[in-house]
Amino acid sequence: MEKKIKTIIIDDEELARAIIINYLKKFDNIEILTECSNGFEAIKQIGELKPDLIFLDIQMPKLTGFEMLEILDDPPVIIFTTAFDQYALKAFEVNAIDYLLKPFSEERFSEALVKAIKMIKSVPPKKQKLAELVNTGGKRNEFLDRVVIKQGQKISIVPVDDISYIEAQDDYTMLYTGKGNFLKQKTMKYYDENLNPAEFIRIHRSYFVKLSSVKQIELFEKESYRVILHDGKQLPVSKSGYQNLKETFK
Amino acid sequence: MTNPFISNKKVLASYSIVWFFVFLVQVSVLNLFLHISFFASVLDSAFYNGLYFALGISLWYTVNFNSLENYSVPKIFLNHIAAAAITSGLWIFVGYYFLSHMITDDITYSNFLLKSSLVWRFLIGILYYSVIISIDYIFIYYYNFQEKVLKETELHALVKEAELKTLKYQINPHFIFNSLNSISSLTITNPVKAQDMTIKLSSFLRSTLSKNEKQKSKLSEEINNAKLYLDIEKVRFAEKFDFIDEIKPECKELEVPSMILQPLFENAIKHGVYESLDKVFIKLSCGMEKEYFKIVVENNFDTEAIPRKGEGIGLRNIKNRLKLIYNQENLLTVEKIKNIFKVTIFIPLQSGK
Repeated sequence: MEKKIKTIIIDDEELARAIIINYLKKFDNIEILTECSNGFEAIKQIGELKPDLIFLDIQMPKLTGFEMLEILDDPPVIIFTTAFDQYALKAFEVNAIDYLLKPFSEERFSEALVKAIKMIKSVPPKKQKLAELVNTGGKRNEFLDRVVIKQGQKISIVPVDDISYIEAQDDYTMLYTGKGNFLKQKTMKYYDENLNPAEFIRIHRSYFVKLSSVKQIELFEKESYRVILHDGKQLPVSKSGYQNLKETFK
Repeated sequence: MTNPFISNKKVLASYSIVWFFVFLVQVSVLNLFLHISFFASVLDSAFYNGLYFALGISLWYTVNFNSLENYSVPKIFLNHIAAAAITSGLWIFVGYYFLSHMITDDITYSNFLLKSSLVWRFLIGILYYSVIISIDYIFIYYYNFQEKVLKETELHALVKEAELKTLKYQINPHFIFNSLNSISSLTITNPVKAQDMTIKLSSFLRSTLSKNEKQKSKLSEEINNAKLYLDIEKVRFAEKFDFIDEIKPECKELEVPSMILQPLFENAIKHGVYESLDKVFIKLSCGMEKEYFKIVVENNFDTEAIPRKGEGIGLRNIKNRLKLIYNQENLLTVEKIKNIFKVTIFIPLQSGK
């Protein structure tokens, strides 16, 4: 017998989950493993049950659908289901197979599902390096307002407002906040693309600094500058970093 | 602008009185100092002043023609000098022509009319001209000034109206789409409930759309509308929240700005219910404080939920709206005490407007 496709439905509204379950009844090769009503629960269930396919809402308590995907090591095939049409572009950037706008018809749902099944059957699961693709975000209208950090089994959410500066550490980055430091599995490129350039300035190949945490900029040796933060911490400023600072204060 | 000497009766009356006074002075001067017969003095004064009385009214049109918008200042100045000379000359000539025919037997007067009077009459003509056009210019200036003030107040009113419009409550489209999705789901599992929800959503949309047209409505209407909204959210998040209504009956008749409660409940749902895993209560109460009527919306929230950016725009909008409507600051306060989020709206009881 053909192997069934395992799926998890993630949405904070019961009725929204119910309609997906209903539509799925017609497909006997799909097995619903469980339903989740928030992002934390979903992370846990995906990690344990390893579904092939998830139906994912974006606006949910604790973690949004996008934040969830960021910390998943090996995301399954995703069909987004949401009432927000402004996230469609972002959804395809994170390699969603389809984007269903609520309320959606059964035909539209089947279309998305058929696409997903095809994808799951044609691509060997190991080769699906979706996690990497999550990194390649494009231009967005919305800036990051919080960063999700996964430390072992623990998930922390760091508001961008709390970050005073960001330091590159090989392929990862360290976020320095008043409440401790957090290691994020993203490179500087991620912040280049997602932070609000009016708030955070790239002052160095390895540093982003939040403008409001800067106390002063001073000359340090010949033609080189450094930034002093309110807490006394000093950060190096590169030549192009100094240009960036100058443009911000223009 | 129309000629104030014609359109405004008071102006015309004052103008006539001044001319009558000038007439009396001239009669006295001619008769007492220049020893011209009383009859000739009266006739001369009456004729010349009467003539300038009429000319003066028509000078308005030359002033209007020579407005600062059409010509440069030197050009206007030259125009007026020329007009003053022509008016004065014409005035003397017409007066002379008639008076010399009317009074033929008075030699003293004839001498005066023909010789000695010409120069000073010409100068007086110029003086009259200057005085009258100055008054005309003052009228125009005053009129423009008033117009400007009027336009400014109109503009202010327009700006205020526009501001109020932008601050008005807007139905959140996601709420509608999510509700429609719930209805879509219910049509399969529970058609009766689906119908119920459709009707509730329609009522909410209808009253919200119509209420947004009005500036104020009764608190009871506001509460009914908010309840419809909460009922719909209840279908979506069945066990996730409870609404506690502690509004006293005496409050219900009070007038409040329309759609002022709705954003508060939406806020409570969005930040309380959407972000929390536990049950949330939303409490509505009212009371008096000094000369204010107070409406309080409270809800508990998950303190661990990380606030998202862009929060508080809804609350700021209400605050600004209250400020515009009642001309008072700080009519909305926000308190966060432990896990309780409390918003208080103050409605001035003596709201003149």
